[in-house]
Amino acid sequence: MPIRPVLLLPHPVVVTPSAPVGAVDDAAQALARDLLDTMRASPACVGLAAPQIGVARRAFAVDVTGHRKARSCHGAFVLFDPEILSATAPATDREGCMSVPDLTGDVSRPSLVTVAGTDPQGRRQVLEVNAFEARAVLHEVDHLDGLVFLDRVAGPHRVFPRKVYR
Amino acid sequence: MPRYALSAVGADRPGIVAGVSGALVDLQGNLEDSTMTILQGHFAILLVVSMPPEVTARSLESALAPVAEEFGLVLSVRPLADEQATPAQAAPGASPWTIAVHGADRVGIVHGVTAAVAEVGGNVVDLGTHLVGSDQAPVYVMTLRVTLPEQPDPAAAVALVRTAAEALGVHCTVHPDEADTL
Repeated sequence: MPIRPVLLLPHPVVVTPSAPVGAVDDAAQALARDLLDTMRASPACVGLAAPQIGVARRAFAVDVTGHRKARSCHGAFVLFDPEILSATAPATDREGCMSVPDLTGDVSRPSLVTVAGTDPQGRRQVLEVNAFEARAVLHEVDHLDGLVFLDRVAGPHRVFPRKVYR
Repeated sequence: MPRYALSAVGADRPGIVAGVSGALVDLQGNLEDSTMTILQGHFAILLVVSMPPEVTARSLESALAPVAEEFGLVLSVRPLADEQATPAQAAPGASPWTIAVHGADRVGIVHGVTAAVAEVGGNVVDLGTHLVGSDQAPVYVMTLRVTLPEQPDPAAAVALVRTAAEALGVHCTVHPDEADTL
């Protein structure tokens, strides 16, 4: 269960769509553990997608437990081959990303989302997520399509350096 | 009221905006549109200011000289001719789009993408860039707001812009600006 290095932009795996996981096998279960371990290794990390750790498969982990912006909270979970079944009520908020450590940006995303996928035990899950958990899920699903938050920022003046100003 | 374009750039330090705007207030000038930001540690000001009729470009420059001296600013003042201005809104038959570009830094990203926008008859209305990453692996991030002609086919225009970006080895996403009126 290693903690994997997180790839940074412009690594090709981060900006390329990933392939389906399909049937859950030992490799998929190991990937789920690596996602959770790597996510937990960074205290501020609320989600991580497989391509961010160099695995071009449609898998992600999310955990918004204890986050002040969270409303729904399903704890720490991993989904394979996620599908967004519904997404409504857009809201704009500031996002950052482990793969884009120098910048943050304002992104509009749906805040009421139904996502389906396969869990690491091979069971189909359908989750209703909202607010910050919905944002985290959609941010991770974007990674599986080779997109980062910079691809969705609300405009040229909605990207911000993360470095502390003097 | 005559209007002037004013630009000022200098190493960032507290008090620059207060100093420049104070000199304008002393002349009863009105700061209209402006953009001010930090570019690689330099504070950059670009603004349009309207001044009372008796103020000239030269007297405005003179009034700003002490502030420029105090803060080490490179300053420029130019009179603006109103009839040359075009409204910021999309022209008829053009629609607003946002383009996001990012990838390994190299010479020519801004030119390559904006040349493609110009070639399809589009117009850049807002643009911001950030050079991030490390010295060994610099990353260029550019976000543009553009208008693209709706005829003959905005999808073809978008495809040309994306092709230009891909030729530079950078990632490019283009999506229509959606503004909901509430």
